[in-house]
Amino acid sequence: MEPHTVLWLFLAAFGASALGGVLGMASGIFIVPILTLLFGVDIHVAVGASIVSVIACSCGSAAPFLKERLTNVRLAIVLETATTLGALTGVLLIGIVPTSLLYGLFAVILVLSAQQMLARRRERAGVITAPSKSWATTLRLHSAYPDRALGRDVAYEVGHVPLGLLLMYGAGLVSALLGVGSGVLKIPAMDSALRLPIKISTATSNFMIGVTASASAGAYFVRGDIDIDIAGPIVLGSVLGALAGAHLLMGIPAEKLRIFFVVVLLLLAVQMLASAFGIHVS
Amino acid sequence: MSKSRGNSVTTHRLIAWLLWYGTWVASAIIVVGMTLEGLGYGAGTALLGLNGYDLVKAGVAMFILLPIARVMVMLIIFLYERDYAYTLIATLVLAIIATGMVMEL
Repeated sequence: MEPHTVLWLFLAAFGASALGGVLGMASGIFIVPILTLLFGVDIHVAVGASIVSVIACSCGSAAPFLKERLTNVRLAIVLETATTLGALTGVLLIGIVPTSLLYGLFAVILVLSAQQMLARRRERAGVITAPSKSWATTLRLHSAYPDRALGRDVAYEVGHVPLGLLLMYGAGLVSALLGVGSGVLKIPAMDSALRLPIKISTATSNFMIGVTASASAGAYFVRGDIDIDIAGPIVLGSVLGALAGAHLLMGIPAEKLRIFFVVVLLLLAVQMLASAFGIHVS
Repeated sequence: MSKSRGNSVTTHRLIAWLLWYGTWVASAIIVVGMTLEGLGYGAGTALLGLNGYDLVKAGVAMFILLPIARVMVMLIIFLYERDYAYTLIATLVLAIIATGMVMEL
């Protein structure tokens, strides 16, 4: 591969990841559109490179959440049974699903992301008390996290686990098919089905994304579907961009950036939809 | 409120350490591999027995294995704490991931 192509791949991944990092957004959703629309890469190759970058970003950003005890690791491993099973289904389906359907599904996920970015998440009012016979109680999932502002631990309970598992299966499936972290599906599942505090659901979702992506990436790697020449610079750019985004870009007004991202996501959705119907705008 | 085991501070620190250093080591391997490729030691040609392509591939493989290693660490902690239900859950996750890989071999 040409050295300048490698450099462009690195810079594209770095830029997407750094900007995404400011809004706490995973860059995975941008990698596939960038590779297919800008670099003319086959969507299956793009998914393979993207899924590895998703793992890298999840691993690279996990430590601070864990040290703050915001990640519920028990809940994560329980839900990971569903996300990995979903990913496994995706691995089996990806060869069968027509390419146009992949583009179409990607457009839907982009629109959902744009919508989620506009409607900000709100903390649910009131504390829920799980019935003593619930799955969450049996599995001892209820926990507590340190709240800096209050200066003490805040206890929280975990809601509807079976519904959470079902939604996580879907998230794992989409993650494997599209090479995304599918935080866009995991976070609503955690907010509304499991009714977790926002900080906990963000940290736990980010933590689970790595394992979910490993389940599909492992299979794609063994199958020889991961193009190393493309994956290398994309993974490196994503990791470094995420770290840079979290540390360096705090000065950028988040509100303007939010609108900018909504517009970009919608434009990409239109382009992906056009690709689904075989129209290539360039 | 009784503190649930497995969500302990030690578990969190251990996993944080693994993922943080794992990310840096895998990234460094990819950087070295890409540098070698840039210098003309790509696939086929080697410098001191190392070729760039294989190193980048090793770095990518390490990233894929990192979350799997994290589940293994959790499994060991659960086993050590005699928390057999969770040991079983962690084993199930590993088994599902292994199934995907074995199917493709």
